[in-house]
Amino acid sequence: MIRWLRRQRSLADYTLAALARRRGKNLALVAIYAVVVFFVASAMFFAAALRSESTAVLADAPEIVVQRLVLGRQDLIGAEAIDKVAAIRGVTDVKGRLWGYFYDRINGANYTVMVPDDPEMIPEPRSVIVGEGIPRARGFTWKGSPLFLSRETGDLKKFRISRTFGTDSALMTADLVLMNEADFRDFFGIAPGFYTDVVARVRNPQEVAKIVEKAGYAMPEMRFVTRNDIIRTYQKVFDWREGLLAALAGAALLAFAIFAAEKASGLSAEEAREIGILKAIGWDTRDVISMKLWEGGLVSLGAFLLGAVTAYLHVFFFGGTLFAPVLKGWAVIYPEFDLSPHIDGLQLTTLALLTTVPYIAATLVPIWRAASADPDAIMR
Amino acid sequence: MIELQSVTKLYNEGRANQVEALRGIDLTVARNAVTVLKGPSGSGKTTLLSLIACMARPTSGRISLDGELVSGLPESFLTELRRTTFGFVFQRFNLVRGLSVLENVMLPAVPLGQDHADVRARAMERLDALDLAGKAQMKVEQLSGGETQRAAIARALINDAPILIADEPTANLDTVLAERFIDIVTGLRAEGRTVIITSHDPRIWGAEGVDAVIELRDGQITGEFA
Ligand SMILES: Nc1ncnc2c1ncn2[C@@H]1O[C@H](COP(=O)(O)OP(=O)(O)OP(=O)(O)O)[C@@H](O)[C@H]1O
Ligand SMILES: [Mg+2]
Repeated sequence: MIRWLRRQRSLADYTLAALARRRGKNLALVAIYAVVVFFVASAMFFAAALRSESTAVLADAPEIVVQRLVLGRQDLIGAEAIDKVAAIRGVTDVKGRLWGYFYDRINGANYTVMVPDDPEMIPEPRSVIVGEGIPRARGFTWKGSPLFLSRETGDLKKFRISRTFGTDSALMTADLVLMNEADFRDFFGIAPGFYTDVVARVRNPQEVAKIVEKAGYAMPEMRFVTRNDIIRTYQKVFDWREGLLAALAGAALLAFAIFAAEKASGLSAEEAREIGILKAIGWDTRDVISMKLWEGGLVSLGAFLLGAVTAYLHVFFFGGTLFAPVLKGWAVIYPEFDLSPHIDGLQLTTLALLTTVPYIAATLVPIWRAASADPDAIMR
Repeated sequence: MIELQSVTKLYNEGRANQVEALRGIDLTVARNAVTVLKGPSGSGKTTLLSLIACMARPTSGRISLDGELVSGLPESFLTELRRTTFGFVFQRFNLVRGLSVLENVMLPAVPLGQDHADVRARAMERLDALDLAGKAQMKVEQLSGGETQRAAIARALINDAPILIADEPTANLDTVLAERFIDIVTGLRAEGRTVIITSHDPRIWGAEGVDAVIELRDGQITGEFA
């Protein structure tokens, strides 16, 4: 065992020295390799993080959202609906919500405006709490700045920015504007007693379907959207997008396989001679192959780690800049998501195997031939 | 004892450029002795050494080592023999380019799985004996001809193999260094090892420790002197 370890140590030493002499070529190789891994791993991390994030956020979401439909479109919902929903057995925690999207004519951006549920987040009268994206888009720093918002009627209303959300949740809150209820009603012209929708929790989640069915009979003008409906929709969206990315990733891997196969076909005269020398001085085929395994392993594993770590940083510390437009349906999940590090071990292992095994195999094929040849070719 | 019986070696057998490098060699090389092969260029010296060192197989005939027939053994056994039995100084050195002198000298020890520091120390000793310790970290392609030759000799000595085979080991060495090599060979013999050398070099044939000189010409033995 010790003998085996020492042999491996010497082989690894030799391999490192051998790799070092074609430093430029090998670094280029590792770089190309790492870029492929980077793209694939970024896509994977991003998708996995979004998926887990969406499930996590939705897990906190109310089980039922009640919307009032008028001519098939969503309309404001009256406070009496709250009482009606609350009267259904098994339902708790019924609340009216005030929220919506607001188009800011001044800089052409869409904001999400809402009255927060959390009392700590409710701003003072005439002030707002905003995401960082808004002052940035408007070109001023937030401190004490006034924020003029244009009402539908055209007149401007002045708000004071009392604070902004921190950078760590920038992705989630960038375009969010929080108002207190009175300001919201005044600004959007919503009469007291009306809400944009109503949310409810259910004591026993197993009963959601039954409760929704019952409520549907009692209030035919209402639409009941369950959390499961939303999760399913998200999953579909993600699955579809992931499929697209998987196709891209597949293409990248294919390109890489071609490259590896190309390497596999040609063993340079220099390399063949080196193997001849090694065999002549007593290395056997097994030693030569172990050495090449080390080489393939070091190159591919090094590239894999480099690619995976940069992908991790890219996705979780730089917000997946390169992939965000592909994966994130702007209107669909914004502003409810923030990417927190999440890794799918199985996916990562699969990627590791997909990137290292074919490469190592490709390096080994021609070596086998050379290593099993007679060494006397190098005698002259 | 190394015995060759009716050994022939054809290169490019059956083709227009066929070469009869060895034609019917019968030879016995004593263990614990220094044997020198001499003969004109192209007479088959390198070919004979490569057969003895199990790097190539004879076209016909038998080669045995201490009574064991080696000419018919499969390749894996031959590798084992090369590793455990022979140290080889190649006529063309065959150092691995891009690696340092020290790394080259340590190469034959890699498959043995010995302690790295020990191997290194041994390699430095061999290099020191050949006045090459100062160049241990240099890449082999930067060495002069004589330095390259000495690095190749050091590599052949690293595993303390019982049989040292050296193909023109002094061709690039000056008198002082050639004598140093002869000293090393004499020392090996004193330790009970076997040395086989090919040489054009009268300094070698005439050296004190040489036990036998064998003369080759056109692939045949034309003289044996003890
Ligand atoms: N691989 C080969 N293919 C074809 N011919 C070869 C091969 N190796 C050797 N020969 C031929 O066999 C003959 C003997 O060669 P060998 O190298 O054994 O000579 P040598 O005695 O070592 O010569 P020198 O003193 O120049 O080294 C030469 O004619 C050479 O051209
Ligand atoms: Mg020769």
